[in-house]
Amino acid sequence: MNEHTLAYIDQDSLFHRADALSKLLWVVVVIVLAFQTTTMEARGILLAALLVIALLFARVPLSVILKASPLIFGVALLLGLFHFFVTPDEPIFTLGPLHGSQAGLVKGAGYFFRLAIMVLVSFMFIWTTNIRELMVGLTKLGIPYRYAFAIFTALRFLPIIQQEVDAVQAAHAIRGRAARSPWAHRFRLWQRYLFTVIVNGLRKAENTALAIESRGFGAYPTRTYVKPYRLTFVGVLIVVAFMLAGAGLILWEKGLLVL
Amino acid sequence: MTTPPPTPAEPLVRLSGVTYKHYGKTTPSLVDVNLSIQRGSFTLLVGPSGSGKSTLCMLFNGIIPHILGGKLEGKVVVEGQDVSATKVQDLAHSVGMLFQDPEWMFATLQVEDEVAFGPENLRQDPDKIAEQVTRSLEYVGLNGLRKNLVWALSGGQIQKLGLASVLAMQPALIVLDEPTANLDPATTHAVHQLILRLRDEGKSIVLVTKDLDEFMAQADDLILLDKGRVVAQGTPREVIERHGAEMLELGVWLPEPTEVGLRLKQRGLFHGQVPITVGEAADAFGGFNFLEGRTRPEAPTRGEVLVRAENLRFGYNKKSRALRGVSFEIRQGEIAAIVGQNGAGKSTLSKLLVGLLKPTGGDLTLFGRKARQWTVQDLANDIALVFQNPEHQFLTDTVKEELEYSLLAQGIDDPDEVHKRVQAMLKRLEISESEGHPFALSAGAKRRLGVATMLVGGRARLLIVDEPTYGQDKRLTESLMELINTLRKEGITVLMITHDMRLVDAHIDRAIVMADGEKVFDGTPSQLFSSPEVVERASLRPTALRRLTDELRARGKVVPHGLNTVEAFVEAMTP
Repeated sequence: MNEHTLAYIDQDSLFHRADALSKLLWVVVVIVLAFQTTTMEARGILLAALLVIALLFARVPLSVILKASPLIFGVALLLGLFHFFVTPDEPIFTLGPLHGSQAGLVKGAGYFFRLAIMVLVSFMFIWTTNIRELMVGLTKLGIPYRYAFAIFTALRFLPIIQQEVDAVQAAHAIRGRAARSPWAHRFRLWQRYLFTVIVNGLRKAENTALAIESRGFGAYPTRTYVKPYRLTFVGVLIVVAFMLAGAGLILWEKGLLVL
Repeated sequence: MTTPPPTPAEPLVRLSGVTYKHYGKTTPSLVDVNLSIQRGSFTLLVGPSGSGKSTLCMLFNGIIPHILGGKLEGKVVVEGQDVSATKVQDLAHSVGMLFQDPEWMFATLQVEDEVAFGPENLRQDPDKIAEQVTRSLEYVGLNGLRKNLVWALSGGQIQKLGLASVLAMQPALIVLDEPTANLDPATTHAVHQLILRLRDEGKSIVLVTKDLDEFMAQADDLILLDKGRVVAQGTPREVIERHGAEMLELGVWLPEPTEVGLRLKQRGLFHGQVPITVGEAADAFGGFNFLEGRTRPEAPTRGEVLVRAENLRFGYNKKSRALRGVSFEIRQGEIAAIVGQNGAGKSTLSKLLVGLLKPTGGDLTLFGRKARQWTVQDLANDIALVFQNPEHQFLTDTVKEELEYSLLAQGIDDPDEVHKRVQAMLKRLEISESEGHPFALSAGAKRRLGVATMLVGGRARLLIVDEPTYGQDKRLTESLMELINTLRKEGITVLMITHDMRLVDAHIDRAIVMADGEKVFDGTPSQLFSSPEVVERASLRPTALRRLTDELRARGKVVPHGLNTVEAFVEAMTP
C-alpha cells in the first residue's frame, strides 16, 4: 500500500506535525495564490517551491512524487497543450493540422501551472495528513460527524481503488489482445477497467458501510474522541509564512517589490 | 426496543420461523430457521458454499434487514431486543462482528484509532476508551504496533486488529465470519488460539470456519446449514454421529481424522464413536493395521525445463527485497506448489513468472528465453495465471464471449473452430449459462471459467493457480482439482500458490517453500513435513492426517509413507 500514490505516508516531518485544519487552510491559500499570480515566472516559482517543500519539509520520497507525476503534471500538460493549440492567434508552431499560437502558449502555460499546483498541493495534503484528524477538526467547526466522515471515506477509498485498478490491469494484461487494432484493444480494456473497478468498488464500499454501521457509526448525533483536536503552532506558522510569501510574490510580480 | 429485558434463562439469540429473501432474489437464502444460542456458548456454523452462513451472521447484528433490505419473516431476538425493531447501531452494543476481510472494516489509519472507533461511536468516556484500547491491543498482542498504520500490518495482524476492535466494544456476542480464510497455517493457528482463549473466558462466540480441527472438541454447539435450512444443531459430536455422512455428501470441510472415521463407518469397518480430534482418532484406530503399496507415487517427473530461476532477486523499491536470491527449476509435467507465510514472496514470484514484474537481479529463463526479453502479451500464450479473484480477469459480458476472447487473443479466428472449441470447453466446465454474465456465476463456476479462459486456446504450457481453495467448499475444490488434474494429464505443468496444506499433501509432487523472500525448501510434501525446522520457519503446519500418522507411529503402529489423503489412508486400513 505504501507504493501507492494517493495514500498517507507515515513520516515525521514539519508538515506531518502540522494540524489538519491549518493544512486545509494552507491548501486554500496555495490555490488562491495559483489564481492570483498572473505570470509564468511567479507560478513557476510557486510550483518549484512546493516541490522543494514536499521533498524537504514534508519528507515525501522522490519516488512517490515521480509515481504521481503523470497525475500532477500529465493532466496539466494535456490541458496546457489543448489551450496552446486552440487559442486563436498568429501561429508560432505547426504540427500537421494543429497550430500553436503565442497567446495559446501564455494561456496554456497558465493552465498548466495552475492545475499542477492545485493537484500537487492536494496530494501534499493527502500524503501528510491523518484524515481522522481532519474529520475531528471538521466536527470542531460544527460539521456533523457523519458528513465530516464522508470526506474521510472518500480519501480512504482512493488508494484502495488504485489497488483495484492495478490488480485488474495485471489480470487483463495476461489475457492477451483479441482486437486487431491496438487502440480498439485499449478502448475495450478501459471500458472493462471501469466496469470491474466500479462493480468491485461498490461491493467493497457496501462492505465498509456494513462494517462501520455495525460498529455503532451513526448511533448518536455526536460521538466522543479519545484524541481531541489541537491546533498546532507549526500549522499556524505554515499558513502565515505562505500568506506572507504569497503576498511578497504578488507584489514582486506587480513590480512593487524589488529583490 | 419493545421487548422486555431477557431473563437469565432466555437464550442470548433466538430465531423463530425465520425466512429471508435477499433484495431482488426470488429464492430465499434462509428458510424457516429456528435456533437459539446460549449465553457463554461457543457455536460453530458450518455448511457448503452458498448455504446461508454469512446471511445468518448478518441477521444477528441487524445488517439484515436494516441495511441489506430484502424480505424477512419470523422473529430474531438478540439480548431481548427484536432485531427488526432495533437499529444496527443500537445492536452494536450487543453484537460484535469480525468479517472475512477486515481490511474493509477499517475506518481509520492508525491501529489505536481503529480500536477506539467503535467505543467512540457509542459515546463512551474517552478515558475509559483509552484503557479499553490498551487492554484489547494487549489481549491480541498488538500493543507494540499501536502507532502503526493499519495498511502496514500483515494478514494475521489485520485479523488480530479486527478482533481487538470488536473486543473493545465489549459486545455480548462475538460473531466471526471465516476470520482465517486467507492466512498461512501458523498464523491461522495463532488466531485460533486467541478465539479459544475468549471461549475459555466465557465469551459467547459464533464462528464460521472451514478449519474445524482445533474447535470440534471445544465447541458447545454445531449448526449445520444447507440451502438456507438448519439441517442439524447439537454438540459437534452429536451432529457428526447423526449427520456426518450427510456433511461429507454436502462438501463440508471436516477434520481429516473425523472424515477417516466416517468413511470407515460407511465401509462397515468401524463401529465406534467417530473421533473428532487427532488424539481420539489415534485411540479409535489403534486396532487397525495398514497395508503397504497403495500409496501415490511422489517422485517428481523429469521433463524438459520450462522455468529456470538462478539467484533471482526482486525489490519493489530500493529498500524492499521481496525476493532474495531464489533458484529453482520447473519441469514439464510437474504439479508443484509454492507455499510459505503471508508476505514471503509467493505472489511476487508468480508475477515474475508471467512477466508482470521484471527481475531486479539474477536470472530468470522462461521457455529457453530470458524473462527480460518476454513481453506479458507474448508470455500469455505460454503461461496462464488464474488470479484469486477471477472477476479481475473477465473482459466480456457473457461466458461464451469470455472464451471466444481468449481464442481470438491467440490468433484463432476461424468462426467454426472458435464455436467448436467454445462448446467443448463449456461442456467440460459444466457451465450451462453460456449467455450469462461471468460476474453472475457461482463462486466455483467463476473459478473454473478463470482456468478455462486461460487454457481454451490450447497453447499454454504452464498453469499457475493462486489459492485454489480460497472461499470454496470441499466439493467445489474437488471439482476444480479434478479439472486441473485432467489438464495435467494432457501435459500442462501446474504451479499452485497456496496456504492449504491438505491440497499440498493430496495433489502436489513438489513443494517450493518460501520464507522472508528466500527459498528454504524444495522437495516432496513428505520430505517437507519431516523437516520440522522448515515447517516452523515458513509458518506451515502439518495436516491433521499427518499428525494422526505421527501419533499412530509414536504408539508403535507401522503406517506406510505416502498416505497423504483420507482416501489413501482409509484404503490402506484393515481391521
